[in-house]
Amino acid sequence: MFGYVRPFRPELKCKDFDLYRATYCGLCRCLRRRYGLIAPMLLNFDFTFLALLLWEPEEGFTPCRGRCHANPLRKLPMCPDSPALELAADESVILAWWKLRDGVQDEGPIKGLPARALSLLLRPAYRKAARRCPTFDGTVRDCLAELSALEREGCPSLDRTADTFARLLQSAAPREGERGRVLAQLLYHLGRWIYLADARDDLEEDRQSGRYNPVAARYGPAGDDGALRLTMDNSLAQMGAALQLGDFGCRTALLENIVYLGLPLVERAVFDGTWYHIKKQKIWRNDT
Amino acid sequence: MRDPYSVLGVSQNASDDEVKKAYRELARKYHPDNYQNNPLADLAEEKMKEINEAYDTITKQRSGGYSGSSPGSYGGYQQRSYSSGDPVYANIRNLINMGDLNQAEQLLYEVGQKNGEWYFLSGSIAYRKGWMDEAMQNYVRAVQMEPNNMEYRQALSVMQRGTMGGYRPAGYSTGMDAMDCCTTMMCLNCLCGGGRC
Repeated sequence: MFGYVRPFRPELKCKDFDLYRATYCGLCRCLRRRYGLIAPMLLNFDFTFLALLLWEPEEGFTPCRGRCHANPLRKLPMCPDSPALELAADESVILAWWKLRDGVQDEGPIKGLPARALSLLLRPAYRKAARRCPTFDGTVRDCLAELSALEREGCPSLDRTADTFARLLQSAAPREGERGRVLAQLLYHLGRWIYLADARDDLEEDRQSGRYNPVAARYGPAGDDGALRLTMDNSLAQMGAALQLGDFGCRTALLENIVYLGLPLVERAVFDGTWYHIKKQKIWRNDT
Repeated sequence: MRDPYSVLGVSQNASDDEVKKAYRELARKYHPDNYQNNPLADLAEEKMKEINEAYDTITKQRSGGYSGSSPGSYGGYQQRSYSSGDPVYANIRNLINMGDLNQAEQLLYEVGQKNGEWYFLSGSIAYRKGWMDEAMQNYVRAVQMEPNNMEYRQALSVMQRGTMGGYRPAGYSTGMDAMDCCTTMMCLNCLCGGGRC
């Protein structure tokens, strides 16, 4: 998606760092095994977070060793396939596909060419994923369609536009029982927060190209960082409150690190403009 | 009922102080103040009840069957309930508490005259839906119209605190405010990206 959802490394315990990395690598492997060689391209931090959330709390952390997709000579610890990873993998394919379709429609026939080519490549994977999660597929399609309609009419309500993406992400977790309610609340506000962070990040670019931007539509072309930040913080607070009510077993500390430290720092970076440098960084540049 | 010690997350032979400390931490976590007008408030309330019962059971057992209200217990926490003079608003409040937001919204739109309470309730509905920007605007309006109403002011101040209010586990509560610009930059480079590990 966007890569906004990251842990804050200095405060991670080693075991939580290993857990994060193995989940990330496990998701990569799961994508490759389910959807072929180009699918790991879709790997990102946001869906790693989703996989961590979806994991059954009783299930411990027992990594296996597997070959790295980027460098097959290396063997790394990674989480073996599990329902949580599979769901996260299916959903990242679906979301990537619809975002590509969106790009094809938004751009002209020439500028949209890369997106078109990519979506052609991804088509078989998407069809497989859509068969596996038909409900999520439908929700993503509807929510993105709703979002582009709101964008076309220049909707001035921040909440209404963010709501479409929030509901999209909300549907990524099964809505059953208490756990389902907790996840729904958490993911709703995560989606809202991601959407707003992305809108703030694009503010300058959209202003230059004259595109619609929800932050500009709500607060004027210069935006209002104080107000926007407060409303994003309110979503973070709701996420924290929801997180405390769920049982996440051995993944609790890692999830808390992401929600209480990682997201606020990313938010700060988006507002002061340093995010641009951070988001491009490679993830695991270590030689272990 | 679950074993009271595992509810509080302590071992059977934990000292009284340890039990109390664990209880206090959990009570802070699930305190109703953290879940005001939250769609998950009922889950928090259940947890609160569970830990209260567990703590009471342990203190009772340890004091040799003596039953009395335990000293540090947050026991009978009373949800501050505000009532409304207007029956329509009272009904809307009820609907919001039950989570029936569509119905509440509809009833609210049928009210002709908008006073402070109207904006407050409209804000409460938005807050529950997760529409924080709209909630904020409505609370601000409500407080402007009735500056002396404690209920409205409290709702607004909760929102104005952002992430500073509410519960945070130990270790996540400090640091962020105290950081100066330079440390922030250093930290940002550590967001699972820069450098080696």
